[in-house]
Amino acid sequence: MNLIINGEEHQVEVSTLEEVISYFELDPQLVVTEVDGNIIERSNWSVTELKDGMKIELVQFVGGG
Amino acid sequence: MKQKKLTIAGKELSSRFFIGTGRYPNPFVQNEAIKASGAEVLTFAIRRVNLGAPNEDAILQHLEGMSFTYLPNTSGAKTAEEAIRIARLAKASGLSDWIKIEISVDEKTLLPDPIETLKATEVLAKEGFVVLPYTSDDPVLCKRLEEAGAAAVMPGGAPIGTGLGILNPYNLQLITEQANVPIIVDAGLGSAMDVAQAMELGADGVLMNTPVAKAKDPVKMASAMKYAIEAGRLSYEAGRIQKKKYATASSGLTEFVSK
Repeated sequence: MNLIINGEEHQVEVSTLEEVISYFELDPQLVVTEVDGNIIERSNWSVTELKDGMKIELVQFVGGG
Repeated sequence: MKQKKLTIAGKELSSRFFIGTGRYPNPFVQNEAIKASGAEVLTFAIRRVNLGAPNEDAILQHLEGMSFTYLPNTSGAKTAEEAIRIARLAKASGLSDWIKIEISVDEKTLLPDPIETLKATEVLAKEGFVVLPYTSDDPVLCKRLEEAGAAAVMPGGAPIGTGLGILNPYNLQLITEQANVPIIVDAGLGSAMDVAQAMELGADGVLMNTPVAKAKDPVKMASAMKYAIEAGRLSYEAGRIQKKKYATASSGLTEFVSK
């Protein structure tokens, strides 16, 4: 499936948002997700099915003032 | 000596120091500086995960086992709309419903956009966020932010990272005098002297990052800032003497020996 993740095209074999998180080996507790502009709560990752061309944002807390 | 504690949105804080988590030489120095500061509120930014090296920037993995109030910021936002989006993402982390609104358009000064900041404050306060807007040191604007629902208002002393100190002490004093919510001086401070001045002008706390992280010895500077906050606050509460043009002797002359 072709997905736009953090502004870049990625060709990944996944069907849910949860699988995207594990594909990139991210710590689920540290990541916040948005799919096509809507925030998806952690508890809904496994039931969020993805379609070709969807835009996904994966963000986290980083150092800042 | 009992001091009244700083309370924001019903949360009583043990320290008046809010410390940033950016630009330290390494995570070890950062953690030691945070410990030395005694700060309970830590600020963060929200950024995209670097998918090539996902754990490189994640700050929270370095802080496990320590208990803090997280204050994510909306840095990078140029409009109220962008700041609101970042605030909602930050809240979805489940770590905090506090948000520091930071909206800058001019990259040279990073000065906050007052109109967008006010808009974002109104929206996010209505949504139930604990909103702490970083703003210009304008007394009227600070009052408007308070009325818009800010839990605390954070005027800058000088532009972010400049270390120029309190450029307009007159304004800052007006801001603290008229405020009904805590005033946290955010940005522009350089050394313990600036911090003591901010506190003597009636600030309820200070937020600092660069002056600690970029000091020659960040851990020692964190400690210096902590003492400056305490000294400045005590001095403010104690009430300083009036300034006068001419001298007043500390001992009178009525019993002077050779009279």
